[in-house]
Amino acid sequence: MAPSRLTAQAAGVNGKTALRFLLRAFGAAILILVIWRVTTVGLAEGYPASFWISQALNGLVLGGVYALVALGYTLVYGILFMINFAHGEVMMIGGIAGFFALQFSQARGWMEGPWPVVVAALLLIMLFGMAASVLIGVALERLAYRPLRQAPRLVPLISAIGASLFLQYSVLLIFGVSPHSYRKPALISGGMRMGDVFIPYTGAIIFFTSILLMLALYFIIQRTKLGRAMRAVAEDRATASLMGVDVNAVIVITFMLGSALAGAAGVMLGFHNTVVKFNSGFVPGLKAFTAAVLGGIGNIPGAMFGALILGLIEAIGPSALGIPTEYKDVIAFSLLVLILIFRPSGLFGEVLSEKKA
Amino acid sequence: MLPILANGAFRNGLIVFAFLGYLILIGIPGRLGGSALPILALVAALFFWVRLRRDLSDIEGSFLRTGGATGKPGWRIGEPGHTSPQEAGTPLPGREGTLAIRKGLLAGITTGLLIAVVSFAFASAIGSGTSIQPVLDKVVPVNVAALIGVSPGQISNDEVPPLRYLLQVLFFTAAGLIAALAAVAARVHGLQTTAVARLSTYLDSQLFRKAARFAGILLPFLLLAFIAWLGIPGVTAFGSNEGTVRLLLTLIATGSGLFALRLAHPGREQKTVALLLALGVLTLPFILDQFQNSVMGLVFIFVMMGLGLNIVVGYAGLLDLGYVAFFAIGAYTYAFLSAPFSSPYISDLLTFLGISPANPLLGYWTALPVAMLTAAIGGILLGIPVLRLRGDYLAIVTLGFGEIIRLFMLNLGELTNGPRGILEISQPGLFGLAPQSFSSGLLSSQGWIFLVALVSSAVVAFVAIRLNDSRLGRAWFAMQEDEDVAEATGVHLVRTKLLAFAIGATFAGMAGQLYASRQINIFPENFSLFVSIDALALIIVGGIGSPAGIVLGALALKGLPEVLRGVDEYRIVAFAALLVIMMIVRPAGILPSARRRIQVSSTEDQISTPGEEDLDEEELDEVTGRRAQAASANREAARGQEGP
Amino acid sequence: MTALLSIQAVTKVFGGLTAVDNVDLDIAERSITSLIGPNGAGKTTLFNCLTGLHRPETGEILFDGRSLIGLRPDEITARGVARTYQNIRLFGRMTALENVLVGQHLRLHASHWSAILRSARQQAEERAARTFALELLAFVGLESHAEVVSTNLPYGEQRLLEVARALGSRPSLLLLDEPAAGMNPSETDRMMELVHRLRDEMGITIFLIEHDMKVVMSVSETVAVLDYGEKIAEGTPEEVRANARVVEAYLGPEVVLQDTADTPNL
Repeated sequence: MAPSRLTAQAAGVNGKTALRFLLRAFGAAILILVIWRVTTVGLAEGYPASFWISQALNGLVLGGVYALVALGYTLVYGILFMINFAHGEVMMIGGIAGFFALQFSQARGWMEGPWPVVVAALLLIMLFGMAASVLIGVALERLAYRPLRQAPRLVPLISAIGASLFLQYSVLLIFGVSPHSYRKPALISGGMRMGDVFIPYTGAIIFFTSILLMLALYFIIQRTKLGRAMRAVAEDRATASLMGVDVNAVIVITFMLGSALAGAAGVMLGFHNTVVKFNSGFVPGLKAFTAAVLGGIGNIPGAMFGALILGLIEAIGPSALGIPTEYKDVIAFSLLVLILIFRPSGLFGEVLSEKKA
Repeated sequence: MLPILANGAFRNGLIVFAFLGYLILIGIPGRLGGSALPILALVAALFFWVRLRRDLSDIEGSFLRTGGATGKPGWRIGEPGHTSPQEAGTPLPGREGTLAIRKGLLAGITTGLLIAVVSFAFASAIGSGTSIQPVLDKVVPVNVAALIGVSPGQISNDEVPPLRYLLQVLFFTAAGLIAALAAVAARVHGLQTTAVARLSTYLDSQLFRKAARFAGILLPFLLLAFIAWLGIPGVTAFGSNEGTVRLLLTLIATGSGLFALRLAHPGREQKTVALLLALGVLTLPFILDQFQNSVMGLVFIFVMMGLGLNIVVGYAGLLDLGYVAFFAIGAYTYAFLSAPFSSPYISDLLTFLGISPANPLLGYWTALPVAMLTAAIGGILLGIPVLRLRGDYLAIVTLGFGEIIRLFMLNLGELTNGPRGILEISQPGLFGLAPQSFSSGLLSSQGWIFLVALVSSAVVAFVAIRLNDSRLGRAWFAMQEDEDVAEATGVHLVRTKLLAFAIGATFAGMAGQLYASRQINIFPENFSLFVSIDALALIIVGGIGSPAGIVLGALALKGLPEVLRGVDEYRIVAFAALLVIMMIVRPAGILPSARRRIQVSSTEDQISTPGEEDLDEEELDEVTGRRAQAASANREAARGQEGP
Repeated sequence: MTALLSIQAVTKVFGGLTAVDNVDLDIAERSITSLIGPNGAGKTTLFNCLTGLHRPETGEILFDGRSLIGLRPDEITARGVARTYQNIRLFGRMTALENVLVGQHLRLHASHWSAILRSARQQAEERAARTFALELLAFVGLESHAEVVSTNLPYGEQRLLEVARALGSRPSLLLLDEPAAGMNPSETDRMMELVHRLRDEMGITIFLIEHDMKVVMSVSETVAVLDYGEKIAEGTPEEVRANARVVEAYLGPEVVLQDTADTPNL
């Protein structure tokens, strides 16, 4: 039946395939453009290797923070199939709370004490930020999302947008417009030098803390009874509830876990960026969402790797492409758009079946 | 039983305290001044009342019904008077009544004590010189003083008479008591039901209906007349706030006009009302002042935006969060054509085309088709890559597009002048006349913009309604319902989707152009994500798919906040809270379209990943079920063998 | 009689699974042909290949002498192939009338400009479309439900409405995917009668998938049997009923050893 095979291919040039072909060509063109740009401009600048390495390390740190936030998006999406648009704000509130805890411990002089005191105080600050985020996350679920579980999908999204604005501007009204600056204690403000590469302590701490938290989350989800319940609810809410899983409790706990990670991310981002203010959660939230989509939303390891990749690309991208750093957001969003167009289920995406809704 | 009820009381008290605490932290008492305490107590009483009513109906429910979930009484679905007299009128047993009152008291005392403790803490902290203002922005002497009911000086000097705190506790206790009494009394005497029943008989009477209808139709005209009268020199109402009052009335008049149209009988009556209303609204630009006109202009620019986005989201069901991109394209296109700033790229392009880069290049009306076309092309270009995406993914990609466009405007300094923006954009003229020459005295510059916005949005609404009423509208709606089936039924998906994107973008481009000439100077910051969110929110609040709802939504979301200018800082918070509450209470919008009303609570679009080859559910069953089927057939056969 | 639809060596593979395996089938004009087979035999997949939802890996599908391969679903509908679905897929929030009007989408040609201006031609076309839609609803027996929102229709009538919607595109070949599934006996009779009338009064060729053997045997002139994606038999209902491979596919190999004639289900 060779002739018919040929006819099939010849006829296929029009119709649906034409669009797919167009998209593929578009994708290839972009890829070639990027490679050309990187080889002729980025690498031709002649930056030393140490520059690239420190940029990459910077990206990994940022990626670690994004990963923590992205996990919150992915967890909630996996269970409720809704984009928790206000998740970035949950993170910001963790940062604000962490700021006040930091002020408090600085006023007590804990930050100048011996190192175990400083470490304990830092842990307390992070826990405080996480607690504040958990509080807000749970309130958000209870007040803005739970009444809308049965509504069409657009409705919770709008509610989430409303909640996001509400949180941002409440923080603005309560704590003022001006940014609050994090002052690092002397213990962690330095860094170490490895050859030509300078590694700030905060960066290293942030990276390893986020890895630790992610491992903890992975353990909870894969190894505990609670995690099993969460996975069951994500798979099929109705069946899970028939099997005796308290779906509401699982959803609340999901929000708590996601918010706790976001709170930790908020505090760490505060140390990394040195300031927090009412809208400092918005853009990182969007980036984290991008990361979650990049890894395939609903997929937990995917979110982690997606975030690390996004962080790396954002840090290296502008210099590699030889464009100003202001465009790093453009690079991140373009990446999101391209990924969704060419690999809609994300880089490591599990394909969500149509039944899950 | 008591500890449980007491628990409930403490919980109520805590919830109310949390809410009041929020109001205090954002500085509401300072705004209210001397009347802060009674007003806050009133708010608390309202809260207590709602909560107690619910508790009471739960108690009653446990007596009358056999289990089952008791809904929140306030939001009961069904006829207003559906509770039968016997049910609601049942007198509460005395014990329940006293318990409810005790609960109210306890809750009130809880709130009062907490408020007193907090205000004492704030007051003494301020008095002893601890500066908490940089931490909690609104905790200033004025705010705390208003909360306690003393002068700010007394707070700063730590001279608050202790009795004041007792007064606070008393106020909130009274609030709890009054709320409980009100709730119990209403229950005991069956007040609610009788009132509702009496009202519903009135409503049923033919005469009342007629009267209500005529009143409804007449209302916008009366309001318009009043607005005109308010504008006459020498006439004032409500003192110095006349301007705001007039703006508010204008908003209400326009909104009630839409309801009047719905009330009028279709046919000649409706046509007459529509004509008169149109005339009335068209006179508005001539009688309003500059500020009121500028607000109304903005409202109607957003009506155009909403109508355009409604085509994409409401009709075609494509959730677009990057709609601001086309608004920006329209605005910048017009800016390039009419402002003194000329980017080297544009003038190069013009010289290449053989046009001398004069300034301004085109007037408003000659630039209009250019702006519309550019926006439409933008719509198609951004539409092509997202053709295969659905639902949330589409939303996020379009959001990304919107941000990319904004970031380019910000960073492509040579093309867009970057954050410095484009200045001195010219105003629309009329038949070659400069706007100033014909509008002097009669029409303020903003009035002229308002008039143009009115006419443009009328045109846009007309086109949108007509298109929705044609085969294209049916194809859009079919696509929204089931994309695959629509395609198999004969709808050309690519063309239909791109048409939706292009028409929506065209309308946004028109709106953007008018916006640019209204603002005179535009900056990238004018085109943030929030414009998209505003447009989306207004069509959802108004009623997705319904043009009248969109006008109402724009009036509510873009107009009302301007009336509340005095409390500028609170309007976004109030708006955001309203958005959430709205979604919970009335997700179909204020004036829902007929189609939306049919099924509000259906889970309409299912999750679907636009994979390369996604199998239908039935096919998956078919493919995976095949082996199982074969196996079971074998089993059956085996059984059949055993049988005989 | 020439073949209206000619399926030649069509194969469709999902991952490693061959859903439709080298199937040949000719459908004569103005005939009623049934496609039967156990669950998962690839029947709906074959329908999806015919209507352009899937693209077969190999093979050729000729309709009226022209190839359908590579065409979009709407282009195939424009050629004159319409279908219904196994699990009813109506436009739920539209009225019955609007559903049929969407079915006519392809046959309406007034430009969008004329829709904005409500030109006389466009208005006339809309009126004609409305009249035709009402006629179709009357044909399937739903004339009194024209303004009913389609989700509110009873199950059996939703199936009838799907047929009316498919007729809106004025097809010459109608694919019915289990038209009698889930219907009670009287509704089934109504559907069978409709199938006959579609062919006799409208001259439409019918190709249907069905599980209800009563329907298959009484309605169809030709029956094709699919098993594991392969066509294992084709012929008149009587021939197919007597075919050993068919019985084997339905009941498993052991039964065949015993007695082929004594198969009450077929």
